[in-house]
Amino acid sequence: MRNDLPFLDNIRKALNLPQGQERTKLTVPTLFEKPDKSATRRRIERRTYQEKQDLINIFSENCTNLGTKLHIAGSLKEAEDITVEIVRSRQPEFSYNRHIVLHDHPDIAAMQLWKRFNRESVTVHTTFSGDHETTEKTIASYIGITVPSISIAESGTLVQITSAGCPRSTSLVPSIHIALIRSETLVADLKEACCLLEDLKPEDSYVFISGPSKTADIEAHLVHGAHGPKEVHIILLKEEPQQLEPQAIQVESESPSEEKTESETPPEQACTLDDQAEETAEKS
Amino acid sequence: MSKKIESAYIEGAKKAIASPTLQKSLDNIQDRFGKGAMQLWKELEDQGMRDRVKESRMRTLAHLDIILMELAQKVRKRGGKVFFARTAEEAVAYTLEVAQKNQVKSVVKGKSMTSMEIDIDPALEKAGIEVVETDLGEYIIQLAGDTPSHIIAPCIHMDRHDIGKLFTDKLGIEPTTDPPELTMAARKALREKLLSADMGITGCNLACAETGQIALVSNEGNIRMSTTMPRIHLALMGMERVTATTDEQRETLQLLTRGAALQKLSTYVSFNGGPKKEGDPDGPEEFHLVIIDNGRSKILADLEFRESLACIRCGACLNICPVYGKIGGHAYNSTYPGPIGAVITPLLDGVNKHADLCKGETLCGACLDVCPVKNDLPRMLSALRYKLAYGDNRWNVRQHNVKEAYVYAAWQKAISHSSAYRRMIKTARLLQKPFIGKNNMIKKMAGLASGWTDDRDLPPIAQRTFSEIWDEKYAKRQQQTPAIKEETNNEK
Ligand code: SF4
Repeated sequence: MRNDLPFLDNIRKALNLPQGQERTKLTVPTLFEKPDKSATRRRIERRTYQEKQDLINIFSENCTNLGTKLHIAGSLKEAEDITVEIVRSRQPEFSYNRHIVLHDHPDIAAMQLWKRFNRESVTVHTTFSGDHETTEKTIASYIGITVPSISIAESGTLVQITSAGCPRSTSLVPSIHIALIRSETLVADLKEACCLLEDLKPEDSYVFISGPSKTADIEAHLVHGAHGPKEVHIILLKEEPQQLEPQAIQVESESPSEEKTESETPPEQACTLDDQAEETAEKS
Repeated sequence: MSKKIESAYIEGAKKAIASPTLQKSLDNIQDRFGKGAMQLWKELEDQGMRDRVKESRMRTLAHLDIILMELAQKVRKRGGKVFFARTAEEAVAYTLEVAQKNQVKSVVKGKSMTSMEIDIDPALEKAGIEVVETDLGEYIIQLAGDTPSHIIAPCIHMDRHDIGKLFTDKLGIEPTTDPPELTMAARKALREKLLSADMGITGCNLACAETGQIALVSNEGNIRMSTTMPRIHLALMGMERVTATTDEQRETLQLLTRGAALQKLSTYVSFNGGPKKEGDPDGPEEFHLVIIDNGRSKILADLEFRESLACIRCGACLNICPVYGKIGGHAYNSTYPGPIGAVITPLLDGVNKHADLCKGETLCGACLDVCPVKNDLPRMLSALRYKLAYGDNRWNVRQHNVKEAYVYAAWQKAISHSSAYRRMIKTARLLQKPFIGKNNMIKKMAGLASGWTDDRDLPPIAQRTFSEIWDEKYAKRQQQTPAIKEETNNEK
C-alpha cells in the first residue's frame, strides 16, 4: 500500500508548482547545504587543559541541578570502587535478586566487576551481541552500566549510541543507570556534540540523556523515576597529567554539590571581577 | 451543530472558571512556564536563533514536497516503512492493518497529539486491541475516561485528591495523595504494560530528511520504552514536522524543549529510524512512519495561514495566554487548545464550527511574543475573524452572524454623520434609564443585546460625550494659555 504520488502531488498543488513537474533535491541544492563546522571542530580540538577543567565544572553544576550524581575518578581502579560501592549500597526495586547488566565495552570489561562480586550474591551480566537472553537479563537487573560516546557540559547530557553489544535498554530499563565516561568525551554544548555525531555517523538509534527519568504531571510536583531510571550516576574518568600535584585529583563519592572544592572558586572570582570591570567601563 | 459547539465553549469556560483546582494549576503553570519562557528568550545568548529557526521552518514548508520525498527515501533505506496518509481515515486504516498483520494484542502509546487528532484509539479497541497511554498525565486521563486539557501537562485540571481516589478505585492501591507514591504506583502498573506490549505508537516531534531519523522528546522515559521494548514501532507524524538537515533539527529541538519546559534539553531526546540492527537484542523488528496530511495541505496552500504550520507544539502560547489561563483546555473542544488551537482547529475542522475559538482570544499578542518560532497567531486570528464577518469561499465560511453584520453596518452609517449620532445618543440616554441598577451599571439589556449583559454589567452611556467635556475644559484652559505655553517651553 503506497500513496506517495497522490500525496506529494497534493503538496505540489498546494505550493502552486507547475503540474507534472517533480522537483528533486537537485532542483534546490541549497536546501540540504550544511554549515561549515571547521570552527567548531577547531574549538573542540584546541581546548586547553584549563578550559577542559572549566567544562568539567560546568558539567558538574548541571548534573547537580538535574539530580544526576557525578563522581570523579582518577583511575579505572577508582571508577571500579565507586561502582562497587553503588551496587552494594542500593537495593533492587522490582525483585529480591541482585542482578546488574553491563554493556560490552572495553572500559567496563577492564573493571572486572564479576571478580569483585564473586563472593556476593550479585549476578553480573554483559550484553554480548548475539545473546538471546539479553532482554530478560536486563529486565531482571536493577543497575545498568554503559559508556556513552559523548557528554555535554552545558546541559549535563550523555549521548548514548546503540550498537551491537550496546543495546538501548541497558540505560533505560534498570532502576539505576551508571555511565562511565572519559573526560576527553566532554564537549561544551549541543552544537559541538552534534558536530562529533556527524563524524561518528551513527547507523543505529541514539539518545541524549539528561538526568534521571522524571515527571511533574501530578500537581506540578517533580518526581524522579517515572518510567526510566530513578537514579543516574556518572563516573567521570579523569586521568591527570603526570606532572600535576596529586591533590588535584578529587574523588567525589556521594554528593558533588557539597564537596565543591576550592579549585572552582578562582574562575568564579575572576568572572565577577571581569563583570565589575565591564560595569565600570559602561558607567564611564 | 455549530450552535452546539458554540455553547460548549461557553459552558466549558464557565465550568473552568468555577473550578478552584483548575484555576490554581493554571495560575501555577502560567507563572512558572509562561513567564519563564519570556525571560528565557530575553536572556538567550544567541538572539538570532528564533528568527533562524523560523526561517528554516518556512523554507521547509515551501519545499515540503522535496523534503518529504527525501525523508521517505532515507527511512526506507534504513529498512523502515513509510506510509503517506492523506486523511485521518487512511492513517487509521494503515495502523490497524499493521497491527492486525502482526497479531498485535496490546499497544502502548507515547504521548501523541496526532493520534488524538486522527482518533485512533476507538478503532484499535474495536479490533480487540488493548490501548494503554503511558505518559503519566495521559494515563491518568485515560483511567478517568477524561480528555487532556494541556499540550504538555494533560491532567492539570485534576489535583492529588482526584488522582489518589482514581488510583485506589482503578489500580487498587492503598489510599494516598502523595505525588511520589502515586507516581510509583503508576510506574509499577505501566512497567508491566511497557515490557509486554506488542506495538508502540508514538508521535513525532521532528523528523530529519538528511538522516531519516525522527526525534522524540520526553522526560518520563515512556517514549523510549515504547520504542524499545515492543516488536513494532509506529510513529504518527503531521506532515509539517520535519527539517531538511540535522543542523536545523538540532536548533529547532533546542527551542522546543526550552519553550515547552524551560529545559536546555528534555531528559530524553531519542533518534530512531529503521528497525533494530543485526545483533541488537532490543528495538523494534518493524518501524513504520505514517506521514499525515489530514487538512494540512489546505493550510499550506494559503499564504495567510501557512505560518501556523511552523508550529513545533511546545505549548508555550498556552502558558501565557490570558484566555487559556482562565478557561483551560477543555473549553476549546479540540485536540489542540490554547492560541495555537484557536487558529488550527478552525482551519482543520471548519471555521464556522469553531467560530467561538477565533472570537474567544483577546488578540493581546502575548502568544506571538512567547512563541519560539514567533508565529503571528494574533494576525491569523484576525484573519479568521474577517472571514467570519464577511464569509469566505476558499475556506467555506458562512457569514457568522448576519444580524450582527447589519447592526455594525448601521452603526458605521450612524457614527459617520455627527448630527445623526448625537441624536441617537440622546435617545439612548433616555431609553437606558430604566435599566440602570443600584451600582450605576446596566444589569440587563433586552433582545439582541442581552448577550452583552449575561455575564457582566455594562456602564451606561455617559451623560455628556467626551467632546462635550473637552469643549468645556478646553474653553476654560484657553483663558490660561500663557501658562500652558510656559510649561511646554520648560519641557523643551
Ligand atoms: S504556536 Fe508557537 S508557542 Fe504555540 S505551540 Fe506552536 S510553537 Fe509553541
